[in-house]
Amino acid sequence: MNVSIIDPLQGDFPEIIEEYLEHGVMKCIAFNRRGTLLAAGCSDGTCVIWDFETRGIAKELRDKDSVCPITCVCWSKYGRHVLVSATDKSLTLWDVVNGEKITRITLQQTTLSARLHPSSRVPSVCLACPLSSAPVLVDLNTGSTTVLPVSVSDTGNGVVPALRNKFSDGSPPLTPTAACFNKYGDLIYVGNSKGEILIVDYKNIQVHGIVPVSGGAVIKNIVFSRNGQYLLTNSNDRTIRVYENHLPQKDGPATLDELSRTVDEVHGMEKLKAVGSKCLILSREFQDSINRIHWKTTCFSGDGEWVVGASGSKGEHKIYIWDRAGHLVKILEGPKEALMDIAWHPVNPVVVSVSVTGLVYIWAKDYTENWSAFAPDFKELEENEEYVEREDEFDLVPDTEKVKESNVNEDEEVDIFTVEKDSAFSDSDMSQEELCFLPAVPCPDSLELQDKYGGSSSKLVDSNHSGSPFSEEAGQNGQPSNPASSPLEAVGNSMGEDTGLTESSKRRRKPSEKGLELQAEKVRKPIKKIKASGKLSKAKNKSMEEQDTSNGEYGDDDVYM
Amino acid sequence: MASRGSSQPPPSPPFRAYRHYKSLTSHKQAVSCVKFSNDGSLLASSSLDKTLIVYSSQTLSSLSHLIGHSAGVSDFSWSLDSHYICSASDDKTLRIWDARSGESVKTLRGHSGFVFCVDFNPQSNLIVSGSFDETVRVWDVKTGKVIHVIRAHAMPVTSVHFIRDGSIIVSGSHDGKCKIWDAATGACLKTLIDEKDGPAVSFAKFSPNGKFVLVATLDDNLRLWNYSTGRYIKNYLGHVNKVYCITSTFSVTNGKYIVSGSEDHCVYIWDLQGKNMVQKLVGHTDSVISVSCHPTENKIASAGLDNDRTVRIWVQDT
Repeated sequence: MNVSIIDPLQGDFPEIIEEYLEHGVMKCIAFNRRGTLLAAGCSDGTCVIWDFETRGIAKELRDKDSVCPITCVCWSKYGRHVLVSATDKSLTLWDVVNGEKITRITLQQTTLSARLHPSSRVPSVCLACPLSSAPVLVDLNTGSTTVLPVSVSDTGNGVVPALRNKFSDGSPPLTPTAACFNKYGDLIYVGNSKGEILIVDYKNIQVHGIVPVSGGAVIKNIVFSRNGQYLLTNSNDRTIRVYENHLPQKDGPATLDELSRTVDEVHGMEKLKAVGSKCLILSREFQDSINRIHWKTTCFSGDGEWVVGASGSKGEHKIYIWDRAGHLVKILEGPKEALMDIAWHPVNPVVVSVSVTGLVYIWAKDYTENWSAFAPDFKELEENEEYVEREDEFDLVPDTEKVKESNVNEDEEVDIFTVEKDSAFSDSDMSQEELCFLPAVPCPDSLELQDKYGGSSSKLVDSNHSGSPFSEEAGQNGQPSNPASSPLEAVGNSMGEDTGLTESSKRRRKPSEKGLELQAEKVRKPIKKIKASGKLSKAKNKSMEEQDTSNGEYGDDDVYM
Repeated sequence: MASRGSSQPPPSPPFRAYRHYKSLTSHKQAVSCVKFSNDGSLLASSSLDKTLIVYSSQTLSSLSHLIGHSAGVSDFSWSLDSHYICSASDDKTLRIWDARSGESVKTLRGHSGFVFCVDFNPQSNLIVSGSFDETVRVWDVKTGKVIHVIRAHAMPVTSVHFIRDGSIIVSGSHDGKCKIWDAATGACLKTLIDEKDGPAVSFAKFSPNGKFVLVATLDDNLRLWNYSTGRYIKNYLGHVNKVYCITSTFSVTNGKYIVSGSEDHCVYIWDLQGKNMVQKLVGHTDSVISVSCHPTENKIASAGLDNDRTVRIWVQDT
């Protein structure tokens, strides 16, 4: 939505719940990079892909082997794959287009948060943060794991601290740790239980820098803004901190090497801290000092302008929005259902939140009619103005009218073809191969004849019937499901049901008519007979449901016979 | 068959004249619309004889006959993958068809008047339609449900078109206005043409890059508008268009041109920049209501009204 006439000023932050999505019990959500699809992990192990434009289900990723609640969903950069972690300790990589499982790996522990490496076209590595141990890098092809360092001992020389911390140093950390990739995935930022941010080289798993977080509380989440310029942490001390990333977007490790060479007067821990202090600069802290809210989860807005803290404690559903300067601009208060997860749309002022009941709420701007859009000459005034008429305004032939015409310079070159690159996605070099949407397949109107009977029938069919309705129906009515039985019988049947208009029979009536027509198609001979008797049932149907069956109806029948 | 225009030739690449290649004569009444599919493999035509016909655009043999509407079909649109066609009919419904099998997959009901124009969004998960009931409706392709009903105009809606990223919709109407809508909310973003008692807007279409809108009005004008500034920058003249909602299009496969039908039974081709008419294709025996350019080849399809009833294919000599 980067069209020049869409009011740039409307692009603020969401205000109201616009809609909610309902499908099973959804636990966690993630937008693809363009915000066209929303993946939601459910408690029964399925992952639903929502078409965010139509708010309909585009795909369901379901695996009969995995029925455990999903803890995290993550899109690959190009949107063709989704990684799902579940409480059965599994990681599953899905191909979104064909809905097939690519690989499934079971780890030692349940993964709470999983991130695919951002740069790989076909995802092969992911970062998994388990329930109660150090984050691991998982090779999705082989299933091999590499444990990341979560702390650096003071005595360490700072070059090989990683090796010393693989569980073997006596005290495996028991608190969860958070970790994320930087924008290009060449560095990993690990937040540990001592309240430190470790900057780890992705290639050789070495700690290059340490940033102690003031207070030293356990870091629960660590998130980069989409543009990679800001990092936020959510700590157990109920404070969200935003850091400016001073490393260049590309070649982070090389820059770190250079940095560490420049600070050679100190060694060990001090050196790492000195390097760290040049990488991340604390810019702002956010907290609710009155209610002392524990932030369930946090994120940036798509453009990084807003910082979001979500609270789900004591069954509340609150979303706090600050600007980056630290001003609280909005508190969104949802229904009394504890909030579980949030996601900000990558480009629009839209926030999506998951409640404990498994519903997904979509927060958007409260849309107000822009009246001046309807009339270009309409000007909205702040207050009354005294109108001064033009000199010739009430002349019969105004002079200025003609000037308008000559304004057009028709010889200007126009470019109707070149498309400017979308600045919000400037880093996508191959955006063509990005998957932005899944092809929408129209669900067939269950039977061609069904829609003859009007719109209401499709509702009934959508809700309950899919298979072979006729045989099912015949069984229900205690009649043999014999497709060759007299069509007249079926007619009588449906009429009989019409008289007893209970809710359930209403639902059942439709398929019986459908069955009749099915039969009519199968038994070609008695077409005439059906038509004669069919009229009756149709007439009846018409009066029963007050449908606007067109008068061309009988003529149309020929098409289907 | 084709006669050269009088003006000087446009800059590179030089314009090569089109010639008549074939006429397709399967429709029993006026042809209302003709369109190449997005992948260029198929061609389809719709007609007042209530049907649509799908052809192979290579062999021009008919592949399927879409039968089901109970009144004439005014317009249709191809889905992105060229798999589906959505047709707009005077029977107040739209239908989604499987183009190759000819099966009617879905019927979209809701309009209370003739459905006159239709367009798939580029993602092909939404359909927009315009009707004589003066509304513009946005439909969900998958479920067939209406997402937005926009009381867009004060007269029949003649044209609707999505921009290339699907974010906005342009609509034109007999009320003389041309408006731009936010596809996500259905909100009016801009009124592009707002002349009091101005001529009816008979056609509106975004340029391939979505920066301009090509607008036809029933006073023989075909203008290219910059909708951001709200001014038109080109006016293509010479053809006749006072009665019918004649479609026009951008030709981008070999140089940039504007192609339009005309009520003088010809197809007009103008140079995009110079606005000079470069060729007039003669052959139809009634008003040319619709034209379409092949997405990759230098090929034009055109459709004629009731006295003509043909779809004609025009190619360039190589």
